[in-house]
Amino acid sequence: MFNAIVSADTLQATLDSVSVLVEECKIHLEEDGLEIRAVDPANVGMVDLSLSASAFESYETDGGLIGVNLSRLEDIAGMADADQLIHLELDEETRKLHIAIDGLEYTLALINPDSIRQEPDLPDLDLPAQIVLEGRDIDRAVKASDMVSDHIELGVDDTDDLFYVDAEGDTDDVHLELTAEDLIDLTAGPASSLFSLDYLKDMNKAIPSDAEVTVDLGEEFPVKLHFEIAEGQGQVTYMLAPRVQSD
Amino acid sequence: MDFAAFADRAGEIDAESADTAVTERVSVLLADAGSELPTVVRFLQGRVFPAHDSRTLDIGPALCYEAIARAAGQNVTAEDVESRLADRGEIGAVAASYEFGGQQGLGAFTGGDDGGLTVAEVDSTLRDVAAAEGDGSQDTKRDLLFGLFNRSSPAEARYLARLVLGEMRIGVGGGTVRDAVSEAFDVPVDAVERALQVTNDYGLVAEVAREDGTDGLGELRLEIGRPVQAMLAQTGTVTGALEDWETAAVEIKYDGARVQVHYDGDDVRLFSRNMEEVTEPLPEVVTFVERELDVPAILDGEVVAVDEDGEPLPFQEVLRRFRRKHDVAKAREDVEVRLQAFDCLHAGVPGSDAESVEDLLDAPLRERRQRLETLLDAGVSEWWLAEDAEEIEAIEAEALQSGHEGIMLKDPESTYSPGRRGKHWRKRKPDVETLDLVVTGAEWGEGRRAELLGTFEVSVRTPDGYAPVGNVATGITDEQLESLTERLEPHVRSEDGVAVDLEPAVVFEVGYEELQTSSTYESGYALRFPRFLGVREDKGPDDADTLERVERLAAEQ
Repeated sequence: MFNAIVSADTLQATLDSVSVLVEECKIHLEEDGLEIRAVDPANVGMVDLSLSASAFESYETDGGLIGVNLSRLEDIAGMADADQLIHLELDEETRKLHIAIDGLEYTLALINPDSIRQEPDLPDLDLPAQIVLEGRDIDRAVKASDMVSDHIELGVDDTDDLFYVDAEGDTDDVHLELTAEDLIDLTAGPASSLFSLDYLKDMNKAIPSDAEVTVDLGEEFPVKLHFEIAEGQGQVTYMLAPRVQSD
Repeated sequence: MDFAAFADRAGEIDAESADTAVTERVSVLLADAGSELPTVVRFLQGRVFPAHDSRTLDIGPALCYEAIARAAGQNVTAEDVESRLADRGEIGAVAASYEFGGQQGLGAFTGGDDGGLTVAEVDSTLRDVAAAEGDGSQDTKRDLLFGLFNRSSPAEARYLARLVLGEMRIGVGGGTVRDAVSEAFDVPVDAVERALQVTNDYGLVAEVAREDGTDGLGELRLEIGRPVQAMLAQTGTVTGALEDWETAAVEIKYDGARVQVHYDGDDVRLFSRNMEEVTEPLPEVVTFVERELDVPAILDGEVVAVDEDGEPLPFQEVLRRFRRKHDVAKAREDVEVRLQAFDCLHAGVPGSDAESVEDLLDAPLRERRQRLETLLDAGVSEWWLAEDAEEIEAIEAEALQSGHEGIMLKDPESTYSPGRRGKHWRKRKPDVETLDLVVTGAEWGEGRRAELLGTFEVSVRTPDGYAPVGNVATGITDEQLESLTERLEPHVRSEDGVAVDLEPAVVFEVGYEELQTSSTYESGYALRFPRFLGVREDKGPDDADTLERVERLAAEQ
């Protein structure tokens, strides 16, 4: 059983956070909220999301697992204005999700969860450096780097206490430094890793510009990007595996 | 089996030139393949799915280049990959020239094993690639491919890239696999051949040969829903046919498209001669078969287009319907199609239970025709048994008069041999032959046509690939050029000035006046006055005419 009412912007933010990495996902219906974990087809980027029951206007379930096509569900959610409410109800018999938006009723066929790629194990990462910054700073770094390269190096200079971004193109380079004053918080430590912008660009799309983003970083280790959605009722963590630095 | 081991073996096979040595190596590989046997058999032939399966990876060269570029490292673009392709000439060599694996997977950080690729893993990932459809599916396909390339060594990448684009080029054809299965599992070649004909599935046949030997192969039957290759005809003469058989079965040769009808008692499925499913575009044939057939059956026939008065319309009109995926109802209003069944491969016994279905491949044509006529009251092509040349010529004149293409001559005592172009079926066309040729190149036009491809290089099949026999530039309207450009653009391999190299994908029906020997073209022949007659929608590059046929036609001139 699953029967919930949620604001359109909360549902949209939730779906967007996942759909930047995968087309289909499993949604765990837990008593205290939704849980989604998914990894991209190449096993390079992962999302771990939870949306608390308190993010909903009303939320009832006795547990369960459903598989959804994210772009279909996003399209439907997109029919609502941001402040409208969306009513979701699972029909156990037909395995369909009934969605109602202000008189508009939509029945979405669910996907057999067994046919969706297995959920990844969470890497247990002990990352020495932590940077807390605004989403718009990540956006700026990603956009500038994308102009010259398809990869981006993220690092922390622990002598000068600063967070830096490097992108090397065939001809042009981009360098950005953010000192402790520019950041919300910085725990310096030895950290420098290279990442594919293909993935980071997608993740960046889902990070609100005013969100407080916690970035955990190490030497040649995956990066963790954590932020909140739905006014703190939703937690999103991205993890992205590094590219080996050749030089 | 590790994919690296498969790639090594493929490399060894590739390096052999003698047929017997190739067969020997393939047979050893099959014996070692273990649970991956069916997959290995398919991979060797550059396939992920058996021939009867309509699924495809649906990956154009461009998408493959993008995936390779992404795996290749920092700031490598699809254009870089393409320019290497222009240098090295072949996608496998290009893929093997990069150092992949720079992008780490998350698995490396979970204590899990991110180790080497296995054959099973490559297979299941490529099946996911095929299954991706709809919005964003191109991204999903690219991500999946990138993931595979990223984990490949150069040797693995060489054969992965070729597999993805369906061109293994290691000299392993159907005949090699057949002989290797026979050698590896000690079963007679004939038994393997027959099993291949009825199942059209090399992987399945290899597995059955290994598990259940000759007896198991003998038990394989046609299966409704699993199309088999169509039996084919040679060109022939009336006198020749009567000399060989005394009595010839004469059928009208319809200007239509070959179709195989599968009816399981509830549902009808239709397949083209490429074994692509064409059920959806031909609803009136489906309805007709559902209404007329009382028992499960597999029928062979032709779909023809007719006008309002039931008069036959040209071939192109049928093909327009074949490709149609949208607006079937609208297309149906414009052109109506009808079934003309001429053979029965498999049929239920009327009045008995559903289980009781017979294979008729080994029955003589005479009997198969009789069975066909008991199954269908309408939609059966006309036929005659004739012993006299004049009688046959009268039938032919009548057929031509009614707007048909000519006549077919068949040996009434012959069995049905799927995929064989044998002497038991002969087509007699009164006019100059046409050739079905693969488009392998083109040139961008000039001026008003600068955005359009024109001057198409057309090629025949050779044992090692394709060889050009001419350039076709006439007989094509601007409208056709536009649609041809749209069709061909995804198959562009590389460009050099106005010249465009195309992967073999589209088949043209080409008319000509004469065949000349020529040193201009690789095939050694040139078409005089070639003209474009249409696209053979029902044929793939593997069904195009061969150099051998051109040689024969040239000798007959």
